[in-house]
Amino acid sequence: MARRDRAASDRRALVARSAIARGVRNAATATATGLQLVQGDLGLAVAPAESWIALHLPGLIVEALALGPRPGSRSASGPASGPASGPGSAPAAPLAVFEAEGGMPRVVAVDAAARERGVVPGLTLAAALAMAPELDARPRQPRRERALLARLAEAGFAFTPRVSLEPPDGLLLEVRGSLALFGGVAALCEAVQARCAALGLAARLALAPTPSAALALARAGRGLAVTGSERLVGALAPLPLAVLRWSPAALARLESMGVRTLGEVLRLPRAGFARRFGRGTLEDLDRLVGRRPDLRRPFVVRETFRGRCEPSFELEHHEAILRHLEPLLADLEGFLRSRQAAVPLLRLRLRHRPDPGDGSPRVTPLELRLAAPEFEAARFAALLGEHLARLVLPAPVVVLEMRSGELQPLASQSGSLWRAGEHGGGAARESPALIERLRARLGSGAVYALCLVPEHRPERSWQVAEPGLPAASAPRVAAAGGALAAAPGAACRRPLWLLQAPQRLEQGIRPLRLLDGPERIETGWWDGQDVARDYYVARDAAGAVLWIFRERLPPHAWFLHGVFG
Amino acid sequence: MSLLKGTVLAQLLEHPAIWRGRSAARIDTLSTGFRALDEGLPGGGWPRIGLTEILVPRHGVGELRLLLPLLAKLGEASPPRWIVWIAPPFEPYAPALAAHGVRVERQLVVRTETPLWAMEQALDSGACELALAWVRRAQPRSLRRLQLAAGRGRTPGFLFRALTGAREASPAELRVLYEPEDAGATLRLLKSRGGARTPIGIRWEDVDGAA
Repeated sequence: MARRDRAASDRRALVARSAIARGVRNAATATATGLQLVQGDLGLAVAPAESWIALHLPGLIVEALALGPRPGSRSASGPASGPASGPGSAPAAPLAVFEAEGGMPRVVAVDAAARERGVVPGLTLAAALAMAPELDARPRQPRRERALLARLAEAGFAFTPRVSLEPPDGLLLEVRGSLALFGGVAALCEAVQARCAALGLAARLALAPTPSAALALARAGRGLAVTGSERLVGALAPLPLAVLRWSPAALARLESMGVRTLGEVLRLPRAGFARRFGRGTLEDLDRLVGRRPDLRRPFVVRETFRGRCEPSFELEHHEAILRHLEPLLADLEGFLRSRQAAVPLLRLRLRHRPDPGDGSPRVTPLELRLAAPEFEAARFAALLGEHLARLVLPAPVVVLEMRSGELQPLASQSGSLWRAGEHGGGAARESPALIERLRARLGSGAVYALCLVPEHRPERSWQVAEPGLPAASAPRVAAAGGALAAAPGAACRRPLWLLQAPQRLEQGIRPLRLLDGPERIETGWWDGQDVARDYYVARDAAGAVLWIFRERLPPHAWFLHGVFG
Repeated sequence: MSLLKGTVLAQLLEHPAIWRGRSAARIDTLSTGFRALDEGLPGGGWPRIGLTEILVPRHGVGELRLLLPLLAKLGEASPPRWIVWIAPPFEPYAPALAAHGVRVERQLVVRTETPLWAMEQALDSGACELALAWVRRAQPRSLRRLQLAAGRGRTPGFLFRALTGAREASPAELRVLYEPEDAGATLRLLKSRGGARTPIGIRWEDVDGAA
């Protein structure tokens, strides 16, 4: 607390001083966050269209392990950080985070204690342990890092609606519109810094008119706030090239040319630079200084819907369960509608009365997957009804819990004036609905579409396909598979029905009358499933026309393979 | 009606804007593709909406040939909708269907022990151009449900049943008794709203090109 008060008074003093120093060409103001304010000449510069705050999190890898406050861990990999370690706490073992990339585990981040012992990122784990045998080595947790960054991004919405992630260790906030609300650059940066600290993150801030420049300044740890576009190049000039995160090869070539800072690289002739390092690299530089627009993908908060219902009595029948689910589904629809979203997945947990024997909780999970994202309560209810009807409940249900899958933007469709099939109305909505309904009751394998395969073997010239209606404009598939197209006469000699597997004719062909044949099919030697058959068309005593074949290899058995429907 | 045949008045009455009450209203139909059958069926084809029962001595005796022209024609509809095969007796053989001009990619096969339920869903959904089902037994009550579903979904449904079903009552729009012949079939209309009283003989070769 005391530190904070002191910082605030420092800030006031410095702001006053900066007012005096306004006439100086490069008016610089230090703020409580250690941020230096770089303003335009006489403070009269035209305000840039955007102001980006970049947050660079040098210690994210260690912080993501969530080990709690560790002495010295705040100043993990940045010697420039302020005095953050709490003196007096017990010294913990030096910490190193390693990553096994391609076999050899290597250290990717260390805390201050480990650094003192000479352990630096890039060492192999074996070497690090040799230098500091008491080293606390832990594997890297990339998922936690991403989650922590996402949490910070969500917190960023407190300051601006325009937040974008800069993985693996950066975050960008566009704050042009928020400056007045938060009382200026210094106050805003202080608030952002405080929010980072609340999440247990040590962040380095920088503010610049372009996102790339803000990131570069933050990575360099300069703590600059550049509010005027015309001061930007001057502020960037002394930074080392590494802050751009170009490929090591490109950096090494620039180094060999004697180019070490951003100012030097910006002074290079454009045409030659583009020829040597590629147009993309030149465009990076243009984005850096604002000569080229720099679009950033906005961060979208991932939300899910959670609902819970505790009925006043135990539910024993699926209809009762469905009735209690309906209000939850209505809530879900409202939730989704207000966000213009739909979900492809709904998870349900039916909690049963605890086991009378050992009192252990019993839960029946239920997962509803949809062919297309859905938001309408009625559709969910219809499908859940089918699923519930198939469910055998081990005990009465006491609690219903519902969780939605990930939200997806709703591709809004205009309701059709005509019903499907009427005056050319399409079945875009009805078709997935029908397939889901059938599959919910019959299982997904029981509903399938057909497709042709260019093959001579009769049983392989068609395949089961995932049902999906082709677009109206889809080109018509060639009238027959390649095998049949080659022999148009043969097409009509194929039966409309095929048996799932050829069925052996035990009595031979005595009861049958051969009408046509033979047609020899001998192929498939390349995959070990070869066939050598002579096909005939035959009529049986009852008048059905059959497609039969005789194996060419002994024992020359006869098989029934198809029926001419 | 027959007195007016060929007159200007008859042509006028053909105009779709003229409504003449139920008795003379034309039934919306789909051409069968066989001229002899078209002439014998009321309205000149299969009913456009509702249930048609085809009673066969056993499955796989040519009853599918009867519908091939219809399958080929409905497959061309745009925007595309499904042609659903519910509990077919064997696998529909895609290359042969394609050879007869049927669009294979619009056929949906449903394997089920409860074909009547699946049929009702298909007819009701509006996602289908046509629904075909092969059933063993069917109660008149469940057929009534199918007939209503077909009306709601405005979809034609074809039900293939065993000959024993001929004795039972049925709410179907049209009931046809199918008897296979050497290169064709003989059809008797058990129930129809008008239509031929004598058996209709068709031959597979007689498929109209313009079906």
